[in-house]
Amino acid sequence: MASVFSPPGFDFSNQLRNNFMAQKGLPLPKATSTGTTIVGCLFDGGIVLGADTRATEGPIVADKNCEKIHYITESIRCCGAGTAADTEFTTALISSNMELHGLTTGRKPRVVTAMTMLKQMLFRYQGQVGAALVLGGVDSTGPHLFTIAPHGSTDKLPYVTMGSGSLAAMAVFESGWKANMSREAALQLVKDAIAAGIFNDLGSGSNIDACIITASHTEMLRNVEMPNQRVEKERQYGFRRGTTAWKTENVRSLIVNEEITLLGGGDEMDTT
Amino acid sequence: MAVQFTDGVVVGADSRTTMGSYIANRVTDKLTHVHDRVYCCRSGSAADTQAVADIVHQHLQLYSQVSGAPPPVHTAASIFQKLCYENKDALSAGIIVAGWDKEVGPSVYNIPLGGGLFRQPWAIGGSGSTYVYGYCDATYKEGCGRDETVNFVKNTLALAMSRDGSSGGVIRMCVITEEGVERLFVPGNELPQFWQGSEVLPNPKGKAVPEPQVVPMVVE
Amino acid sequence: MQHVAVPHAQPQQRQFNPYSENGGTILAIAGANFSVIAGDTRQSEGYSIQTRYAPKVFRLTDKAVLATNGFAADGNMFVKKVRQRLEWYRHAHAKDMPLRAIARLIQTMLYARRFFPYYVYNILGGIEEDGSGAVYSFDPVGSYEREACRAAGAASSLVQPFLDNQIYFKNQTPAPGTTHPAHLPLSHVLSLVIDSFTSATERHIEVGDGLEIYVVLAKGSALQGLDAIQGLSELTTTDDGERMFVIRRNLKRD
Repeated sequence: MASVFSPPGFDFSNQLRNNFMAQKGLPLPKATSTGTTIVGCLFDGGIVLGADTRATEGPIVADKNCEKIHYITESIRCCGAGTAADTEFTTALISSNMELHGLTTGRKPRVVTAMTMLKQMLFRYQGQVGAALVLGGVDSTGPHLFTIAPHGSTDKLPYVTMGSGSLAAMAVFESGWKANMSREAALQLVKDAIAAGIFNDLGSGSNIDACIITASHTEMLRNVEMPNQRVEKERQYGFRRGTTAWKTENVRSLIVNEEITLLGGGDEMDTT
Repeated sequence: MAVQFTDGVVVGADSRTTMGSYIANRVTDKLTHVHDRVYCCRSGSAADTQAVADIVHQHLQLYSQVSGAPPPVHTAASIFQKLCYENKDALSAGIIVAGWDKEVGPSVYNIPLGGGLFRQPWAIGGSGSTYVYGYCDATYKEGCGRDETVNFVKNTLALAMSRDGSSGGVIRMCVITEEGVERLFVPGNELPQFWQGSEVLPNPKGKAVPEPQVVPMVVE
Repeated sequence: MQHVAVPHAQPQQRQFNPYSENGGTILAIAGANFSVIAGDTRQSEGYSIQTRYAPKVFRLTDKAVLATNGFAADGNMFVKKVRQRLEWYRHAHAKDMPLRAIARLIQTMLYARRFFPYYVYNILGGIEEDGSGAVYSFDPVGSYEREACRAAGAASSLVQPFLDNQIYFKNQTPAPGTTHPAHLPLSHVLSLVIDSFTSATERHIEVGDGLEIYVVLAKGSALQGLDAIQGLSELTTTDDGERMFVIRRNLKRD
């Protein structure tokens, strides 16, 4: 009898079959990747995170307005680049563990805690979980900003970029970043950095998302800038009813008719 | 790099982290705290060395709580060696452990790629180290003082950074003695300067370069 | 748990690769007495844009236009060589080479490099000697055919099915008692071309920045509403021959 028990964690039961098929020349399915621009920037009272909204499958745009700034806790957020599914699941898992950690300790969990959980998980999977992250937030020890690479190495810096547009975005930071910036100046710099990725990196595109985290408040600015609105089509592409040909026609009535006969009394609803 | 001197050790490193040809971090701190008087210098894979250092850090915290005393440097180095040796197939980590303890005073341990463990008066590692072995052999003396050792480390790193493309940025150093840990920082524009090659380009001293002799072409 | 050793150290062979792929898309549609040839102007390599304006559509004669797509360096060199051959023809025969002859010339020039091909897909558009609009499409080694429409390049797999549906009316049953038209009017064709490129720009990362549409009108035919199109400029050089126009539009730059 097949076991009904399924062990926790990833399921490797198809590995043997898939390796065999790969050897026979069948390519593995391509995962949706967020060939991305994500950034983070420190300012005097908090953190600004930024992301573009394009998801790609090879050269095809899979999603024109996806969300890459993920929730970890109320005052910690994480931008994800790399394999879309990996960034989504790792951040969701760590978000869940951070919630439990907060409940266990009775304290607001810290950014370093999320960073340590993420790096230990990514290191355990030796780069197989393809998540490149920008983690930012504010806790009792102040604002913190990290990058976490897919193999589990971390960096702590005042301004960071990740993804295929990271070079374009870093160029903006390296020329425009100053110490102790205001919230407004930091947001503008983040928007400029993401815009540089959107317009100069083919893997990034569409809109700008931003998130401003301070000790007292987290503000998620979904689609703060939309510099790539779709232009109107020249023609209407409606099709006349009956355009599609068919070989046979079969009409079935899906409506069930029922006749209800009341037996005896006393079943009326009490409406007092 | 790490060098032992009479009262303590000096550990130093450049600050460059690369992903291929891209500098992912130009102000990295590769001098990693593993206990109050024990630091390590990391080279190789950032992910591997960070993970190993984090594990050792946890071991040493437990050690000092259980034994009620700070761990000897040799103990820290042995844990590093155990991890690096037993996981040599999976790791790309070259680590130098250095610090001060009350049993032996200052000491430096080198743990190269295969997971060996060697006590040395000075140790260098990482991609830029091959350029400066000769300089270290020629310059290191026993029984130096603090300032002399700091200069030796600073000069060695500056020379390695100027020759190795994968090294660069700023110099970070730590002086670890019985009294405590002092952090030193040399910005990238204040690095020690050595031979720059600039005197090759101008004329040799006192000799005027003769004007080129232009001979008009003979027209038949 | 059992682990399966996966062999990954297979022998590798490395060699210099002289080709690259520079993205972009071209398309051409033939009408009854006109031909439309279009291409975007983005040139890219990998995830980087090399330039936002690199023409892929080139005027060859007063009535022939060639669009090239694939490896840009090969495309430019190929156009240069075709133009040289056309100039020699003009000096030898005191007239422009007819469209069908240009098509055959291109075939022989491509096949001459059968074992070191020009890494380009070509589409030739223009007016035949009988005054009909024509489109010829080629593969990189010279196989060609005359068609009513063709898309090539990075987003060809997105655009060609759209053209099959809208030009050839594939998968569309005509209303009872009617038939689909064999040729569409110019204004209709132009709007399909513009919509093809704005849509390809939305869903393909290598398409965007600018759009160049060449229109060739047969001798003596009316403007057919062309004068109302924005971004139009005329390239005609003679008073009594075919007329040629180019329409330049912006596409999204992300």
